[in-house]
Amino acid sequence: MDINELKRHSDLSFDRAVAKKNLLSRAESELITVYRDHIFRADAVTISTVRALKESHDQFYMLDSNSNPVEIDNPAEFLNLLIERQQAALNSYHQAYQSLKSLKD
Amino acid sequence: MIKGVLMYCFDTDLVAYHCIADISIGLVKQHLGLPVTVVTNQHTLDHWQNPPDVNFIIINNDTNNTKLGQPWYNLERCEAIDHSPYDCTIVIDVDYLCFSKKLLQYTETAHDFLIHSAAHDVSYRQALTYERKSMLPLVWATVLIFKKTDKTRRIFDAVKLVKSYYQHFCNLYRIDYKNFRNDYAFAIALNQCNGYHEYDIIPDSIATLPHDCAVLSYNNVSLNYRYLDKINRIEGQDLHVLNKGFVNV
Repeated sequence: MDINELKRHSDLSFDRAVAKKNLLSRAESELITVYRDHIFRADAVTISTVRALKESHDQFYMLDSNSNPVEIDNPAEFLNLLIERQQAALNSYHQAYQSLKSLKD
Repeated sequence: MIKGVLMYCFDTDLVAYHCIADISIGLVKQHLGLPVTVVTNQHTLDHWQNPPDVNFIIINNDTNNTKLGQPWYNLERCEAIDHSPYDCTIVIDVDYLCFSKKLLQYTETAHDFLIHSAAHDVSYRQALTYERKSMLPLVWATVLIFKKTDKTRRIFDAVKLVKSYYQHFCNLYRIDYKNFRNDYAFAIALNQCNGYHEYDIIPDSIATLPHDCAVLSYNNVSLNYRYLDKINRIEGQDLHVLNKGFVNV
């Protein structure tokens, strides 16, 4: 491989890496959601925690993104919102990522 | 509760900010669907061809400030609580382009006042790291979301106080950037109003396009930019564009 070809591949990889970071940044931003006046991240930890607590509690407490305590008295509603938000963000990321991957070397 | 967006827009000899505002207002109306109030001066309004359908507030703005060696007229933000006709206000820089509706959700929280504490360079060269030279955590006054409450008024009063004695507060917090910056003024005010402890923030990072990135094109949902020979695209994500030349694209 000559040096120009190597540079072309390197440039393309750089562009892909920056594009991927921006897509991920957008997805992380889209995970942020508001539920009953409080801000949450619909990330895997939050979803797992809510799901685990929901199994044995009809009502429990969570910390919002600023570490303020929030009473959750409708776990099903909250969990649905979190999953909906997370999957919307990741679906959007997935679609854009597939386009990015399809760029040929 | 009436919600709306407030912008400050003052042309300088170098930048026709009203042209940027035209773009920004269109995006706000499309994505946020909120009424807009623009605080400007008579000089800017006189040069504004086909002014948009917004509420204008005309003031005599302070013109004694520079940023990166150029005139920079953005000293009135501390009066946003008085200028805003809304119960819940989103203040944004005119060069903050809303490509999404995400700011809307922050108007539905119990918080009186929200601000970002993080921003990142979308070209991923960490071009914004110089912003952190001080003793206190920096905030980004690019976007403010507030309700008209006693707590919020105390914050804005504190910002006015910081503005009046800015050099003193720069020394106190070891800020080496001596020209007035809203980011530092709000950071200091929030630090003092919250008893020198942390406060509630928007848990997001402002996507920022640095000065040295050229905007190639944009539409209602995306923007293409170039840094050296690298071309990239931001889509569906709000973007703070620091290169004011993009109005000429």
